[in-house]
Amino acid sequence: MNNSFTGSNRLTRRHSLKLLAAAMAASLLPAWPGFAAGSGRWQKTIGAGNKTLPVIGMGTWRTFNVGNDARLLAARTELVKAFFELGGGMIDSSPMYGSAPDVMGHALSQLGIAQPGAAQSDMVGSLFAAEKVWSPAGGSAREQIADLQQRWKIPQFDLLQVHNLADWREHLAVLRELKAAGKVGYIGITTSHGRRHSEVEQIMASENIDFVQLTYNISEREAENRLLPLAKEKGIAVIANRPYNGGSLINNLKRRGERLPGWAAECGCTSWAEFLLKFIVSHPAISCAIPATTRLEHLQENMRAGLNPMPSAENRKQMVRFFDAL
Amino acid sequence: MNSYASYQLQDFIPFSADVYFRLLERISETWWPLHLLGLALGAAALLLALKKRDRLVWLLIAPVWAFVAAVFFMQHYAQLNWAGHYVGYAFLAQAILLLLLALAGVSRGKVPAAKMSAVAGSRPAVIMVRLGIAIGFGIALTGLLALPLMAPLSGAGWWQAQVFGLHADPTAITTLGLALMLLWGWRLWLVAFIPMLWLLLSGLTLSVLQATEAWLVFPVLAAALVGIAVLCRYPAKKA
Ligand SMILES: NC(=O)c1ccc[n+]([C@@H]2O[C@H](COP(=O)([O-])OP(=O)(O)OC[C@H]3O[C@@H](n4cnc5c(N)ncnc54)[C@H](OP(=O)(O)O)[C@@H]3O)[C@@H](O)[C@H]2O)c1
Repeated sequence: MNNSFTGSNRLTRRHSLKLLAAAMAASLLPAWPGFAAGSGRWQKTIGAGNKTLPVIGMGTWRTFNVGNDARLLAARTELVKAFFELGGGMIDSSPMYGSAPDVMGHALSQLGIAQPGAAQSDMVGSLFAAEKVWSPAGGSAREQIADLQQRWKIPQFDLLQVHNLADWREHLAVLRELKAAGKVGYIGITTSHGRRHSEVEQIMASENIDFVQLTYNISEREAENRLLPLAKEKGIAVIANRPYNGGSLINNLKRRGERLPGWAAECGCTSWAEFLLKFIVSHPAISCAIPATTRLEHLQENMRAGLNPMPSAENRKQMVRFFDAL
Repeated sequence: MNSYASYQLQDFIPFSADVYFRLLERISETWWPLHLLGLALGAAALLLALKKRDRLVWLLIAPVWAFVAAVFFMQHYAQLNWAGHYVGYAFLAQAILLLLLALAGVSRGKVPAAKMSAVAGSRPAVIMVRLGIAIGFGIALTGLLALPLMAPLSGAGWWQAQVFGLHADPTAITTLGLALMLLWGWRLWLVAFIPMLWLLLSGLTLSVLQATEAWLVFPVLAAALVGIAVLCRYPAKKA
């Protein structure tokens, strides 16, 4: 064994104390809604396990459906690279999103992340691949998943969800079997636009699921009433989709030239992207938000929302009052 | 919340405007100079329709529909939209329908005698039939010439020009025009159905993508409906 300990990385008394403090803090982690990793990036613990997830992920609806257009494939590959470099984790897609799974597979293989056994890069560990089963795409759930794994060029997904509750009973049964066989880490269901919340609530209350994906942002807060408290109670991780209402929320604010309140900077909000995303991920029940984008500058702006500091409960109330008054 | 009321048109369009226009562009780049053959075929079909050589018209454009089904839909559009294959099958079905029509040879030249006598000699009827045919001619010209010119005129460049025989919209529009020039009654409905359905889908897509072409597709559809209504009411031969 190469024992190359040098003076600079030998444990000093001060380092030891720091490590001790960090270990004590880590032992308290599950009780906290979120914590900042060494880089200052906010992470949240999923369910009862010790798996953590960066609070800003990435969606792929429309933005990654570029077919086999070489120019656009290269642009999306750059986006995925930047996403990981900026500490991203979850990427969400669906068989409904056209070529998005293929485009993701292209990007991952270009970046050396995809094939099993490929040279490990720093990015490998951070990818949290979330896919869906969607009845209208045809074929059985198992066929769809096998097909999607090939398209993403990865051996297995971290999370499989039933898209928009379509045929959820039969699909969830299959996903449960796959989870038991160790072929997927987590399973869940999705909805959006505030649709079918009572059915989602029933499933959350009665089924054993790890994740629920729903629309939650400062202008769509219905989930706060029942679904988010229930998720917290049952230890179900929550993914917030449509964080910008498909783009209209942030684009309207930017276009109208609305200014951020002076106090926003105190909780780390120096752009509308940070204001809107930090509002979402600072909710104690939300695990991550998955904004979609085609633009590098937007991605950078979005990823900054995962950095310390985060709004407090009081800040969040202030944010709502401010937004509602706009 | 009522889950159906919450759906918006854009929830069903899985690609963005720039990606769709790149798709049109890539098809053009791949198949150049086939555009010229497409335009020549379209122009020939229009001239033959003016001469009421209906069988030849359908024989000329049936393979065009099969080509658009295979290249535009199956090879390209289906990459972006999971429903693309189904639209491709519909275009293939239209190709078969046109081929059958060419074999059967039914056109306005063979209006049943009973129907002809009902309107023969009636001046308003003749005018109305002429109107229906004129609408068809206008629509066919729109598909052959106006639509291809829209992209370059709006500054998008020639590669984004949509051309009969290569892209779906001009193929559907030109065929719709030809059908109005040659058919009547249920036969007209039969031949117009798939082109109109696609144009409705395409018009809705283009309006979500805020593309200028949407402004052409909807008026064409409205004009076609007027034409069909007129020609189903007055199916006379001697227009
Ligand atoms: N039922 C379901 O399972 C379901 C339903 C809906 C969504 N989802 C998931 O959730 C993800 C997110 O939802 P979404 O894509 O519908 O909408 P979204 O993330 O709320 O908005 C995406 C739009 O916002 C724009 N945008 C992103 N960052 C921006 C910034 N910093 N400044 C200005 N504009 C910005 C993007 O345009 P640019 O490209 O110009 O940046 C894009 O058009 C989806 O991609 C999908 O993965 C799942």
